Amino acid sequence: MTGTKASIRRMKDLPSTHLLGTGTPMCAGCGGLQALHEIYDILGEKTVFVNAAGCMTLLSVYPFTPFRGSWLYTAMASSPAGAQGIRDALDILRERGELPAEEDLQVVVLTGDGAAYGMGLSATSGAMERDLDFIYICYDNEGYGNTGQQYSGATPHAAKTATSRGAHGFAGYKKDLFSIWAAHRPAYVGTVIGAEPLDLAHKIETVKQLRGPRMIIALAPCPTGWDYDPGESVNIGRLAVRTGIWPLKEYIDGKVVHTRIPRGRLPVEEYLKTQGRFAHLFAPQRDDALLAELQARVDAYWDGVTS
Amino acid sequence: MYRIRFHGRGGQGMKTASRILGSAFFLEGFEVQDAPRYGAERRGAPIFAYVRAARAAINERGIISRPDLVVVADDTLVPVPASGVLSGIGARTVLLINTTQNTSAWQQRLNISGPVITLPASAEVEDRADLPYIGATCAGAAARLVGVIARDTLAGAIRTELSALGAGVIDRNLENALQAYDIMQAHSGLVREGSMTSAIKYAHPDWADLPFDTARISAPTVFATANSVEVRTGLWRTLRPVVDYSRCNHCWWVCSTFCPDGAIAVDTDGKPVIDYDHCKGCMICVAQCPPHAIEAVSEEQAQRDTTTGETP
Repeated sequence: MTGTKASIRRMKDLPSTHLLGTGTPMCAGCGGLQALHEIYDILGEKTVFVNAAGCMTLLSVYPFTPFRGSWLYTAMASSPAGAQGIRDALDILRERGELPAEEDLQVVVLTGDGAAYGMGLSATSGAMERDLDFIYICYDNEGYGNTGQQYSGATPHAAKTATSRGAHGFAGYKKDLFSIWAAHRPAYVGTVIGAEPLDLAHKIETVKQLRGPRMIIALAPCPTGWDYDPGESVNIGRLAVRTGIWPLKEYIDGKVVHTRIPRGRLPVEEYLKTQGRFAHLFAPQRDDALLAELQARVDAYWDGVTS
Repeated sequence: MYRIRFHGRGGQGMKTASRILGSAFFLEGFEVQDAPRYGAERRGAPIFAYVRAARAAINERGIISRPDLVVVADDTLVPVPASGVLSGIGARTVLLINTTQNTSAWQQRLNISGPVITLPASAEVEDRADLPYIGATCAGAAARLVGVIARDTLAGAIRTELSALGAGVIDRNLENALQAYDIMQAHSGLVREGSMTSAIKYAHPDWADLPFDTARISAPTVFATANSVEVRTGLWRTLRPVVDYSRCNHCWWVCSTFCPDGAIAVDTDGKPVIDYDHCKGCMICVAQCPPHAIEAVSEEQAQRDTTTGETP
């Protein structure tokens, strides 16, 4: 980890008051909202959110907002461009002496995986290229959730989606956005999940102290799109980590470090069998070949992990 | 033209019900529109779906404000203003309601003169978002009430619409839908077509005219912080988490952190307090509570208990 002093050492140190307002239209049990509220509690009120079209656009439906600061809605591909404009405006105010340093704001992009892995990737690449001082949060529920879970660049192999209904589910493979982002050599890239709030808190505390492009991908268990009971969101999130499907890691100072290496990794099917989108792997008959392939891919990933 | 509006909760299959009924009309030679209302299709939240069917081209679009038939899959929605069950109901509107209470109780309670038909509520379930096959049941009953859909046509529409779900699921839905179709025999044709609307006679709703303003004034800008708390998402709840404080360890950092909605506050003694105005009933806290001190109870039952337990 970095040499920054973490104020949150134990679960007990997590914030006991929550900044994000209740009453949002996110689904019951939304893993994305869970991660966002945990992140927001640590980022704090001095933030301005730039939200690409997606589920979380519905967070702020006129005349209501759950945020304590400003929120701007952009088209799906252009949130990093929106963030650039806001950062520039804040910088100009700072230069003119019209904005005291203590009133400066963090510019935070908030997008789903549809925008982050797909149509917003070019604008994000450009923002990192320009070394834009911003935070990017992708809530990744592995499909276009707000429109009924069509596949996206983040959909995992074999998952059933509204547009991958065949016997073997989605034929493609989840894009490695972490590596794509890290290849730009930004200040920070990290993966988080709401089900591991302590790891998340450490990463957001780190991010707060850095400048430049700081990129976060939060795996967002999605009862609606993944087809499971909403009460299972945290159990499924933990399984994503313990089976090695969702590696918790960060890219910082030019190096990738795994913040949690699951000891005694559970078989991936422990994760897959909890979700209706993978039900065809188990019934009417077990698809041993596909399960073995999915396991082999996760094993191969961890075989290459040294730290 | 038939104008039919379905009301249910997210998860009860109202979108599917509207598609089944729409397909059945179509197979009988009607022009059809069927569509759910987009925007709030969350589990437990009030859901709307609409079907229009006519022998001639349909020029109407959008939501149905003057329905000929209103189908209510979940009677706990009736008192919820956001669900708009009674919106636009007139003397000739048929109200089909899935309930354990009788017709006259509803007529009296709602003070409506039009016909009320009850669907005997399917077996009581703890979580009403899981009411089994209620979508297909409602579609089956509605198909008989309009009186122009044959039993075989209904079955064909169900097979088509549910084809992706496998034979077992289709069979159980068919059984429930056809049973509802048969139960409604006495009321076959009770729902009558409303007249086609004329653009010339169109009377606009009672809206307020606003002057044209510059973007600075007219843009939908919210000048408030965290005012989403005005939205009572607690009404989505079909199950209620209840803390047994005698068993609570006061490890608030578990439930309060994991609650996606931030609906669990921590009081000065470190006691978690659930905000029922906003808790959507996801039950993550129930699943995660280390000493198992949070229990899931049926929301319907909890409300009944609260009402009877209170002294007036």
